[in-house]
Amino acid sequence: MKKKRIGIIGGGISGTCLGYHLSLYDDAEIIVFEKNTIGGASTAKSAGTVCLFDDSLKNRYWDVRLYGFESYLKMEAEEKGSAGFDKTGTLVVATNKEVESVIKTGIALAKAAGYTGEYITDKERIKEILPDINTDNILGAGYTEDDGYFDGTMISNTYAKKLQANGGTVKTGVEVTEVKVVDNKIKGLKTSEGIDYEFDVVVDCTGPWSKITGDMVGVDVPIWHTKAEAFFLCPPGKKLGYTFPVLKYPEFYALRAGDNIFICKSHLSMDLNNPMHAGQWDPDKLPATGGTDDYFIDFLLDQLDEKVPGIVDSGLVSSWLSYRAEPKDFWPVLGETTIEGYMVATGYGGNGVIEAPAASRDLAKLIMKGESTPLLENWAFSRLVEK
Amino acid sequence: MNIAVLIKQVPVSNDVSVDPETHSLVRASSEGMINPADLNAIEEAMILKEQTEGKVVVFTMGPPEAEKALRDAMALGCDESVLLSDRCLGGADTIATAKPLARAIEKYGKFDLILSGALSSDGATGQVGAMVAEYLDIPHISEISAVQYDGADTIRAVKKYQGEEVVMEAELPALMTVCFGCNEPRLATLRTKRAAKNKPLETYTNAELQFDAEEIGIKGSPTIVTDSFSPERTRRAVMMTGTPEEMAAKIKELIEIEKGKN
Repeated sequence: MKKKRIGIIGGGISGTCLGYHLSLYDDAEIIVFEKNTIGGASTAKSAGTVCLFDDSLKNRYWDVRLYGFESYLKMEAEEKGSAGFDKTGTLVVATNKEVESVIKTGIALAKAAGYTGEYITDKERIKEILPDINTDNILGAGYTEDDGYFDGTMISNTYAKKLQANGGTVKTGVEVTEVKVVDNKIKGLKTSEGIDYEFDVVVDCTGPWSKITGDMVGVDVPIWHTKAEAFFLCPPGKKLGYTFPVLKYPEFYALRAGDNIFICKSHLSMDLNNPMHAGQWDPDKLPATGGTDDYFIDFLLDQLDEKVPGIVDSGLVSSWLSYRAEPKDFWPVLGETTIEGYMVATGYGGNGVIEAPAASRDLAKLIMKGESTPLLENWAFSRLVEK
Repeated sequence: MNIAVLIKQVPVSNDVSVDPETHSLVRASSEGMINPADLNAIEEAMILKEQTEGKVVVFTMGPPEAEKALRDAMALGCDESVLLSDRCLGGADTIATAKPLARAIEKYGKFDLILSGALSSDGATGQVGAMVAEYLDIPHISEISAVQYDGADTIRAVKKYQGEEVVMEAELPALMTVCFGCNEPRLATLRTKRAAKNKPLETYTNAELQFDAEEIGIKGSPTIVTDSFSPERTRRAVMMTGTPEEMAAKIKELIEIEKGKN
């Protein structure tokens, strides 16, 4: 049987998840190239929230959310800890009618799939779930105890292990230095090991690096970086004393990290026209910790003062800055490009952990069977190419 | 009690190499942080401030970016700050660092106590604190782990000396260098971070400090670094496989082998 040779650039959630889904096909020969460690770059800075209902992904893509969530539940059931699941539940706060309607629809979908979910308007009950919240200016909140957050790095490593068990190869510490194209068709790539590889398909799974990766083949990947700025807070008294759920507001989200609280600005609140929020930077220059802008301190202080005053005077343990990669319409960029055999699975914009399983499932089908899906058509690279 | 705290901005990353030509440190990241032992000094100052009132002023010498370390210190509760920053101060060794710091302290005001971290995480000479005390002609106690003060004209410090814990007393004003890890430094909050942006920060250049060019910077530094190198890595990690029981048995066996070497 002639195998299809596929090279994947990037060993984050996008690359490892795609590699795994491709490895389910007998006639796929896969090599994942990661210049550092698996799931160690922007994936490691992901909050890993895969909630049954929130505003991270429109309800229209409920199947994407559910497939991601259940893929990780299955992973966790196979080997405890392999997806890093912390089942804290989620509280999604409705601050206006529009958000309320989205939450209610999400709850209906979750319940139809067999999960718990309720829309709560009793403010005392909301305070029982999250004692530190201010319920004065909210309409209600959606709550489920069935979900929580996962660990993107653990998941990437589990996918890497699974794809290797299925015959695939993962090369870490190996940087792709050249992508070879002849007559507008992919031929292979060259790496920092000095080795030439021949491939039928090369997939860019490099997220925030995609512009740089695309430059190697002359494909302009139209993504921007938006800043994901996060703080780890140590609550007053140093102990939470209750299970802090994943907390979602349209402006920010929070979750527990041991006895600390992780808090991050939501990506949909970013303004791509504001150079403080969005631009194109070099992800290799990101410091491991720190790097947040002063405006983020003001933003979070105002937000917490108003919405979760019980944690506003928490100690700042650490902070970091990450770049989310997304095109201007905030949807991922998947599939074929203008170079035959050069594909992309990028632009997840901070939703990689949620979206990668369904996107990889469909992209693997396109690569191996030539069959497209509605999801791939909606998120196609071609939508972003100027006509 | 008015307290001055001397701090240093050190690199966040351990990824530091040595330039073979100049023997200076080449840092992979320009991101800086307050030297860890200086955080213990700040905490000691905060405890005394709560006990005695007065103000805490934090001093550092460095490039303009060192303002971040001063703002971070003020977010921890320090009231005011002074940045000694001038190109002619650059390349200073411990003496040429201590001299301007001492003069800046004298110029800024009257302090009852001066605290600093005992060692920096990058240079680790432990000399600057004692030198500042000498230039100010005040007593100093180095490498202390606690301060005891009852409002008198003297102050006591606890320090470890040849394995024993001893209490030493000094007349005020005095200088003490504080050991890393002797207390639990408080954390800044979003609110104190915001407040720190508006706290007073004064910059001293040599126009204010009035040194002759030969006294400061590289020219004023009698120390010459003749050689420096990265230590050779001799420790190696061993990755184990197997069930937890098998790995535990293997670890036990390795411990026994190591024990046998002694």
